[in-house]
Amino acid sequence: MWGRSVGGVTLTFHLAGINNQNFLMRDAETGTYWQQISGRAISGPLAGKQLTLIPSDELTFALWKTEQPAGMVMKDVADFVDDYSAKDWDVKMKSEPTVLNFPEHGLANRDVMLGVTAFGESRAFPHARVLAEKLVADRVGSEEIILLVGPDNQSVRAFRAAIPGATSTGDIPLEFFRTPDGMMIDTQTGSHWNFKGCAIDGKSKGACLERIEAIKDYWFDWRQYHPGTTIYTGSGQRRHG
Amino acid sequence: MHSRRSALFLLFVSLAVALFFLVYPLYVIRPFRHQGAQELHAALFVLHWQHVVELVCAAAALIALAVLRLRIRTTIVTALVLICAALSFVNIFEVMFHPAGAPAFQYVRDTKLDGDEKVLAVNARAYPIRSISYHHIVNDRIVNETGGGVPIAVTY
Repeated sequence: MWGRSVGGVTLTFHLAGINNQNFLMRDAETGTYWQQISGRAISGPLAGKQLTLIPSDELTFALWKTEQPAGMVMKDVADFVDDYSAKDWDVKMKSEPTVLNFPEHGLANRDVMLGVTAFGESRAFPHARVLAEKLVADRVGSEEIILLVGPDNQSVRAFRAAIPGATSTGDIPLEFFRTPDGMMIDTQTGSHWNFKGCAIDGKSKGACLERIEAIKDYWFDWRQYHPGTTIYTGSGQRRHG
Repeated sequence: MHSRRSALFLLFVSLAVALFFLVYPLYVIRPFRHQGAQELHAALFVLHWQHVVELVCAAAALIALAVLRLRIRTTIVTALVLICAALSFVNIFEVMFHPAGAPAFQYVRDTKLDGDEKVLAVNARAYPIRSISYHHIVNDRIVNETGGGVPIAVTY
């Protein structure tokens, strides 16, 4: 999700091509071509400019409803409903061929990964493994992070595992455990934390962990755009891409 | 005659150029094909000049046709040039994946979606994956925490 304002001008984007399984966009205002995955303008009057990333969540509708009961959902565009994907389109996509091949570390091209680029490192977490472990504590770059699976056992959010508001050098990394009802409890402050990363009781009550963007992507696509990526293979193991 | 030969030459050159400027970008930028950085830039360069070049080719073909008079073969070649020029104004990607246009929204209680359908959510707005994975881009405007309007592009 990208901000559309560049240098005070609001851009309107059109689909302009499919480039290596991602797509190209062209803005109607300047005719500049932008790459969807990076938000970077690659050709045209605004070449070199960068769109601002807007943090977003990929969640199940059921879970999002509980967090935003007064929320609004985009309506289907009536004329094209028949062309929309089926619910299980990602299962069907698994067998489609890919244009690039990175048969490394036992990963298949269309393995779904959660990609994190933060604190000086790009790191890929196999989606299925995260869903199985439910709570992953790991390190990305200079910081400890956690990936938490939501109460719907499908949605995943990543957070910095540090007391909110403190600076990096003063932070004490928090150690978390998942409780049977899908929340987390930390050993330092004894607080329960919900899927929004906010403490609902204990010493940290009212504080919220810093969210980190975790992007769902196919392995071959993540590897193409993050050639130096490391891969999470289980607690305590680090491998390079 | 000298002018006939020149006109024929002009006609076929305009067809060749019109075909190249139409087909080359479509060839390079297509799904299931890996594009190197250089050829992508070449294709985008062609795209940048495409409309102007196509219109020049169309004009040149019509001029050539006027000189050569309306024979069957020359008319067909000119028609091909005009077709290339017209097609260059069609965005094939928006024909395959119709743009969403200005999005409309409904409340949660009015939304018929299964609980396990995925959505892309930002604060109090959700975009069902099944529709944005088709449209690919939705140009929208959200309200941030301080109440300001933020124009966004939802991409999938």
